[in-house]
Amino acid sequence: MIVRLRQLAAASSRDLLVLLAVVAALALVPLGVSTFTLSVATAALIFALAGIGWNVLSGFAGQFSFGHAAYFGLGAYTVAVTFTRYSISPWLGLVLGGLVAATFGLLTGWISFRFGLKGAYFALATFALAELLRLTFNNFDFVGASIGITIPLAGGDSWGSLQFEDTPALRYFVALGLVALGTLIVIAVTKSRLGSRMLAVREDEDAAASLGINPLRAKLFAIAISGFITALAGGYYAMFLMFVDSDLAFGPSISVLILLRPIIGGVGTIWGPVLGAGILSVLGEVTRSLVRDPPSFLNAIEGVNGLDQVLFGLILVVVIIRAPDGVIGWFRRFRSRSIT
Amino acid sequence: MRRTTIYLSLLLSLALVAAACGDDDAGTTTTAAAESPATTAAAAAATTQAPATTQAASTEPPDPILIGSLHPLTGGLAGAGNRMDNAARMAVDEINAAGGIASLGGAPLELASADSTGAADVGASEAERLINDGVSAFIGTYQSAVTTLVAAIAERDGVPLVIDVAVADSILDEGFANVFRIQPNASSMGANGAKFLNELGGGNIKTVAYLHDDTSFGVEVSAAFAAAAGQYGIEVITDIPYAPFSVTDLTTEMAQAAAGSPDVIVVTGYYNDGLLAARAATDLEVDVMAIVGIAQGAFHTPQFVEDFGAESELFFNSNYHFNSSDPKVAAVLAKFEAEFDDAMDTEAMLAYQAIYVIADALERAGSSDPADVRAALATTDITDHFLAYPGPITFDATGENINAEPVLMQVIDGEVQQVFPLPLRETDPVFPGTPWGG
Amino acid sequence: MRGQSGKAAWAVLAVVAAVAVPQTGWWDTNHTVFAQAVISGLLIGGVYSLVAMGLSLVFGVLDIINFAHGALMTVAIYASYLLFMNYGVDPYVSLLITVPLMFIIGVGIQRVAINPVMDAPVHNQLLLTLGIAIIIQNLALVLFTGTPRSIELAYARNEFDLGVITLDFPLRVFGAVVSLPKLIAFVVALLLAGLLYLLIQRTQLGAAIRASAQEPEGAELVGIDVHRIYTITFGIGAACVGAAGALVLPFLFVSPTAGDTFTIIAFVVVVLGGMGSIPGALIGGLVIGLTQELTQLFVPGSKFLGVFVVFLAVLFFRPEGILGRVRR
Repeated sequence: MIVRLRQLAAASSRDLLVLLAVVAALALVPLGVSTFTLSVATAALIFALAGIGWNVLSGFAGQFSFGHAAYFGLGAYTVAVTFTRYSISPWLGLVLGGLVAATFGLLTGWISFRFGLKGAYFALATFALAELLRLTFNNFDFVGASIGITIPLAGGDSWGSLQFEDTPALRYFVALGLVALGTLIVIAVTKSRLGSRMLAVREDEDAAASLGINPLRAKLFAIAISGFITALAGGYYAMFLMFVDSDLAFGPSISVLILLRPIIGGVGTIWGPVLGAGILSVLGEVTRSLVRDPPSFLNAIEGVNGLDQVLFGLILVVVIIRAPDGVIGWFRRFRSRSIT
Repeated sequence: MRRTTIYLSLLLSLALVAAACGDDDAGTTTTAAAESPATTAAAAAATTQAPATTQAASTEPPDPILIGSLHPLTGGLAGAGNRMDNAARMAVDEINAAGGIASLGGAPLELASADSTGAADVGASEAERLINDGVSAFIGTYQSAVTTLVAAIAERDGVPLVIDVAVADSILDEGFANVFRIQPNASSMGANGAKFLNELGGGNIKTVAYLHDDTSFGVEVSAAFAAAAGQYGIEVITDIPYAPFSVTDLTTEMAQAAAGSPDVIVVTGYYNDGLLAARAATDLEVDVMAIVGIAQGAFHTPQFVEDFGAESELFFNSNYHFNSSDPKVAAVLAKFEAEFDDAMDTEAMLAYQAIYVIADALERAGSSDPADVRAALATTDITDHFLAYPGPITFDATGENINAEPVLMQVIDGEVQQVFPLPLRETDPVFPGTPWGG
Repeated sequence: MRGQSGKAAWAVLAVVAAVAVPQTGWWDTNHTVFAQAVISGLLIGGVYSLVAMGLSLVFGVLDIINFAHGALMTVAIYASYLLFMNYGVDPYVSLLITVPLMFIIGVGIQRVAINPVMDAPVHNQLLLTLGIAIIIQNLALVLFTGTPRSIELAYARNEFDLGVITLDFPLRVFGAVVSLPKLIAFVVALLLAGLLYLLIQRTQLGAAIRASAQEPEGAELVGIDVHRIYTITFGIGAACVGAAGALVLPFLFVSPTAGDTFTIIAFVVVVLGGMGSIPGALIGGLVIGLTQELTQLFVPGSKFLGVFVVFLAVLFFRPEGILGRVRR
């Protein structure tokens, strides 16, 4: 255990270097790509950030959440409501949204963990909480009920109101900055004693408790940090779309989108969510274009709607069976196999 | 060492992302141009003449004009979405078969289909893709929430969007210059629904129970109805929302609606839930003068009559409708059915119409530049259209079709018949009228 | 233990009733609607029970969160629909085909896809079953288009002379209406629940299933092929939605997403009833059916709000469910 912690600490300086390199590489994306591609990349980064948040709770602390849309949506609605109703800058809105989500996480987490929910039961509880929020917001006039909230255009680029209508690259850079921030938080957490406590709780709660670790506290820290980061993503997504409604904020499909990336990339790894986001974006494009514009020997499948989704589902199933630890885990196993 | 490899591969895959994203014009459907007889003939001519180099240039067909079609092609609304996409494709094929856009040297249209999956954020992203692929204009999107986001993108990028189906008033409230709507909006649906009820009952309809879906569609239409009903002395005494996509039974809801003994029960929603509402009303034999849909997705469709059989008799619906008394429309319906083995509904007709509206604008603009198409769309005046409207398709300053109005229909002897307004009446309504003889 | 479970069941019912039991005056004007809500709730609840039983077995024995359960139900609805449209097979007769068909499909899915992830983390299992649901849903879209289809039973609104009593459908009970397809679905669901209970409690196979659920290693030691039991159990789970699919067709509709609603409901029911418990699933289904309809009475448009509130309350305060045993 202790050895493992030392390794983590030693690796963090390398992690920071990698962070720098990845951010630098990703900062080059806006060069020479279209506005559309940049939008897709921005959305991919936003969901990568949401996945980074999910990964703190579900990856590092081992509490599988199937309802992270709750935090995502709270972030989105907080930004939208504070900006449209009280003219509060979205920057502050992002932080407020993070705090609202963290508080929500602490409250619901405290109840859940106090009552000993874990595994599938915890997952179902998080799912139900997100659904409760969705149904509540869908009927709550203050937040636009089923019609949602349209965020008014500030006109042109405005750092204060976090809108970049004229320069999509800035929208992308802000998303990239948030991803860097989220990753920094994760690196700091994994490096800290808090992180090692989370890992200990994940591996064996009873053993951790016998070492003097308070599992409840560790899990609550994890859920608060996790909720905060995912809410940042949700809040920025609201500014990205300039719109939010209960489905976009709290829908079950949002929860799935959030956890898909880290699981594909590698649960409980620093770079899993970002890597997963990259892979899924490419995969989505490939399956889509395969059906839209297939090679000549596959002409029969052209324009058959739903086939790309079938293909996507198949790939998902195969990946989970073949690479249960995600792509990073698969690489690691591949490495260790080729060495021996 | 191990870690380094991981990071290297990470960077590599990121580079892959960039590379894959850079390939921008992947993902465009080209069926329309390829299948069109006119263009294949032209292409064949071009190939045969290829060796005689001098003539190749003059006979080369003009570049196709890309038109987008954005609808939910997968997910819970895929049925309607695919019909609309098919109808758009049929219109494109017809236009190409008739020689394409004459003012652009007979340039054929090419349809780029995109799938919103029924989600607003995916719809927005797909709209950006279509614009990026270079569409001159596009149609869509069937859902109000999706259209709200898509309209904002069309406006931002200056590419005209012709809304075939999407009802929320708020979509055009922002004063967008690039967004046009063919169908009646929620206010028109609600106001005309109230007017029809008044005419239908000869002033005898005083109370209404309203059963509607809880998405922005049902909420806006029912609110517009309630706002307009007062002037006819009609009061909404019960308002029952329901979640349309997870509902498996509406018997309790229908019983709630009937509990206050309203004169009429009004229903707004989609197809599946409409069917459930009709079943519930039939089982309960609700004691009302009539069941009237307002912008209801089922009660005026041939599929409803087919699915629900004799029980579908006498249901009313006030909705947009193709002009069923027009022989030209009958031909389109027959052609669609033959081609896709599926009954064409009004949603599909609106998508079909939207393509013709864009083709008309292209013809008059003599340009495929989105700005020129937009300017031409603003002066649209199509009298020879397929819809049951009191006048031509022509847009006001906000982009609403001035003459977009619903008609009141009723299922009579297994046929959907137009009963109001009088100029479009095919037969007299049966009122009071419920299949169980209430 | 048993008495306590019973008390808990009553407590949940009492809570539901407490929410439902109206203030004075309300009853006079609304008792028909109230009766309708109770009857509709019980009728749909019976179907929920049947769907949930299959899920409960899979959850209890394999410990898998199967999010493809509703998608499997969609397959069954399509099968029943196609049999009806192409060969005129009555939906209730088609049970004889859909149930074994879905059993086989379930066995196949377990062998190919579920077995390899039996020891994987929860999130992988969940994502895998979601992947299967995506495949099924979109294959249905490719094969049958997204257009919703439905059928009407020719005899749904007939009069039946049973000698002692003449039943004129739809029946009227306390002013509420009971339609024939829903009544049949309810009755058959209860019968199948009884059969399933007997299968689990009284047969050798059932004993092996119970043993595999409680003590997989021990079961292995006494010569039970636990993996074969897993496969059969998943097959039985699928067979349950095979039956449910045929039963709901006459009063629902079929589309690629038709079964999806039932997945979440079934999970709620399973947690409520206790995983692996057949009687629990039965009671849970009825309670959830009632909860959803009574919520609709008092908070129109928010059927599932009440369902999720009950769900969370059970999760937090009685995670072993109404009749469930304490979790491992």
